[in-house]
Amino acid sequence: MGTAVVADRIQFAFTVMFHYLFPIATIGLAPFIAWFAWRASRGEDEVARRASVFWTKIFAVNFAIGVVTGIPMEFAFGTNWAPFSAKAGAVIGQPLAMEGVYAFFLESVFLGIMLYGRRRVSAKLYAWSATLVGIGSWLSGFFIVATDAWMQHPVGYRVASDGSIRLADIGALLFSPFAWWQYAHVLLGALVAGSFIVAGVGAYYLLAGRDLEDGRRYVRLGVLVALVASALVIFPTGDRNSADVTKYQPVKLAAMEGLFHSTNGAPLAIIGMPDTQRRELIDPVVVPNVLSFLAYGNFTANVKGLTAYADTLWPPVALTYYAYHVMVGLGTIFIAIAALSVLLLWRGRLMGFRPLLWVLMLAMPFPYIANEAGWVVTEVGRQPWVIYGVMRTAAAASTNVAAGETIFTLIGFAGMYFLLGLLFLLFVLREIGFGPNVATHATQEGEV
Amino acid sequence: MNVAAFALLATAIAIYAVLDGYDLGVGAIAPFVARGSAQRAAAMESIGPFWNGNEVWLIVAGGLLFALFPRAYASAFSGFYLPFTTVLWLLMFRGISLELRNHFASELWHGFWDTAFTGASALLAVLFGVTLGNLVRGLPLDANGYFLGRFAFLLNPYALAVGIFALLALAQHGLAFLTLRTDGELAERSRRLLSRLWWGVLLLYCATTLASLALRSGVAVGAPMRSAPLVVLSLLALGGVHWFSRVGKPGLAFAASSLFLVSLVLAAASTMYPYLLPGFPAGSGGIDITNAGSGPVGLARTLALTLPGLLAVVLYSIFVIRRMRGCPRSTSEL
Repeated sequence: MGTAVVADRIQFAFTVMFHYLFPIATIGLAPFIAWFAWRASRGEDEVARRASVFWTKIFAVNFAIGVVTGIPMEFAFGTNWAPFSAKAGAVIGQPLAMEGVYAFFLESVFLGIMLYGRRRVSAKLYAWSATLVGIGSWLSGFFIVATDAWMQHPVGYRVASDGSIRLADIGALLFSPFAWWQYAHVLLGALVAGSFIVAGVGAYYLLAGRDLEDGRRYVRLGVLVALVASALVIFPTGDRNSADVTKYQPVKLAAMEGLFHSTNGAPLAIIGMPDTQRRELIDPVVVPNVLSFLAYGNFTANVKGLTAYADTLWPPVALTYYAYHVMVGLGTIFIAIAALSVLLLWRGRLMGFRPLLWVLMLAMPFPYIANEAGWVVTEVGRQPWVIYGVMRTAAAASTNVAAGETIFTLIGFAGMYFLLGLLFLLFVLREIGFGPNVATHATQEGEV
Repeated sequence: MNVAAFALLATAIAIYAVLDGYDLGVGAIAPFVARGSAQRAAAMESIGPFWNGNEVWLIVAGGLLFALFPRAYASAFSGFYLPFTTVLWLLMFRGISLELRNHFASELWHGFWDTAFTGASALLAVLFGVTLGNLVRGLPLDANGYFLGRFAFLLNPYALAVGIFALLALAQHGLAFLTLRTDGELAERSRRLLSRLWWGVLLLYCATTLASLALRSGVAVGAPMRSAPLVVLSLLALGGVHWFSRVGKPGLAFAASSLFLVSLVLAAASTMYPYLLPGFPAGSGGIDITNAGSGPVGLARTLALTLPGLLAVVLYSIFVIRRMRGCPRSTSEL
């Protein structure tokens, strides 16, 4: 694989992973904001009214950075992956165009009302706007995931006489069960992040002894949603995603599990370090037979290992394996935290139990890590293919863009994103510092 | 079907030019008309609720190009690698400067982001013009339809002139918008600057139009005939900008300025037709609507799947703009 392809892959991985940090928050927070806005639209509920304003500010910063870092992603297909775009554009351009038309417009136009129209429109229209922005962000996620799902498991296409790939059946692409299970998993993953953010900020207020009424509300709603979402992430959606991988991408499954040799009654590795030289999992801690059961529902089923395939078909094993284990490990911990919190909430003890409030506050970054790790499993595990079984990544990179150019722009993106990251942290921490009870500050009188 | 797809693409770009055109224009021209922090804030807020939605038209135009004409998308974006990356960085910088300026109540902070916004807006206007100029002029494509967009080739006098023209035309559009959507001193100063800037627009308009016709006349058969009505229309619209602005009809002046931009984009598209990326030197073929297309079935499906959505977008955008009427705060409210 040439230097140019490696540079292109690093650039795409870096820009898309940075970008995705912000959609995680917007997808995850949107339902909370809509909920608070509808509660507020009935009058009376002051906490909900303050909450809808406060969380919209956090949402807006995430949205703005999500937009500006999202535009390069659409450009990147053409700039860095021109042969891929020329070959498959008739397929993947379709859902991407629909994302713009059906989702992105909805989000952007109605966000204008949320940010600037609070005092100009009725509480009802404001709540509708919050809902439509939420629907827009969820739809946007769908079209992106449907595009990715097609690259993972291409369906409904045919190859034209000039070698380009044409879409034969848009329904097959949009209603592919593979895509829908992946979408549900991704969406719930973002919802876990959103609920941990809401609960974590609430926990911070309670620990700091300020904004108590608001803090309690955030913690309560946050942990309830967190429990439901983190359970659904694992079952049924995570389980169904694994089943699809087992069926359509068995090499990826073997890499995820660090299984080098085909085994009857394959064990599930909890700990261990895959070594591609020695072709074994070093120092493993395993649960016997469980992988066979999870993959095939049968404790003695044969699971194919990596060595059943030519090593030119292997994805990068270590990265896929670790990312998968980080995701699953964190997912399990989220359920534990959320379940314990809900138990204490039910007993009426949560708001005064400081150790768990500390845990909730400090847990905030981890759903981000789990979400990103999940995408690493999906995308790195897809290698060496860009379209699974159809087109190799090595053949997909632009030939008229030199490695030097990509490295130059990569450095530029790194600098730009470092600045964006600093500004983001500055503003979000500052808004959290102001809190829901400092409604506006000097220059924003009249807006949110 | 190919023609309908080409028309849809040109329409999306024309709408983008009108909508994002005014906020780019306001960004580029604001320091020349808005005195003091209150007026600067008022200028920024006149576009605040809308710029994001406007910019989505660029994304959608990109998405449509991708879906309708994958080969043209692949060739253009990889060929213009560094220029397009520069556009991206400017778009990003511009986006955050508008969003972040209001987060600190500090003159220094506002000043920095306002200047960043102005610089990025002006450069973007020029770069869009340069890109359009190069598209009309043609690009040196290889046998597979790819090219290397070297700065030395792209920054030719013709394209640069179109770039400056684009900056002035969008600045005029921005002034027409400010005249319409703000009040008091700011609106009055915008109106006065508009009538002076107009002469510059007219001058460059004549120069670039003649140069374009000279460039393309021997190439695409019938190109001058196709674009002639649009050229006449654009001339009328440009006259309208001056006239309506003088007689104090800002709404009509803005409408005329919008029509001017639409007719310019469509005129450029009609001279390029049937090419999406004409070859250079003129007459050496290029990527056209047939060899770049995603096939008749694909094109028909993309049209069927996006047109209802675009219609809905237009409807709810109008709804939001009407609901937000009077939203830009006048300076007296601050």
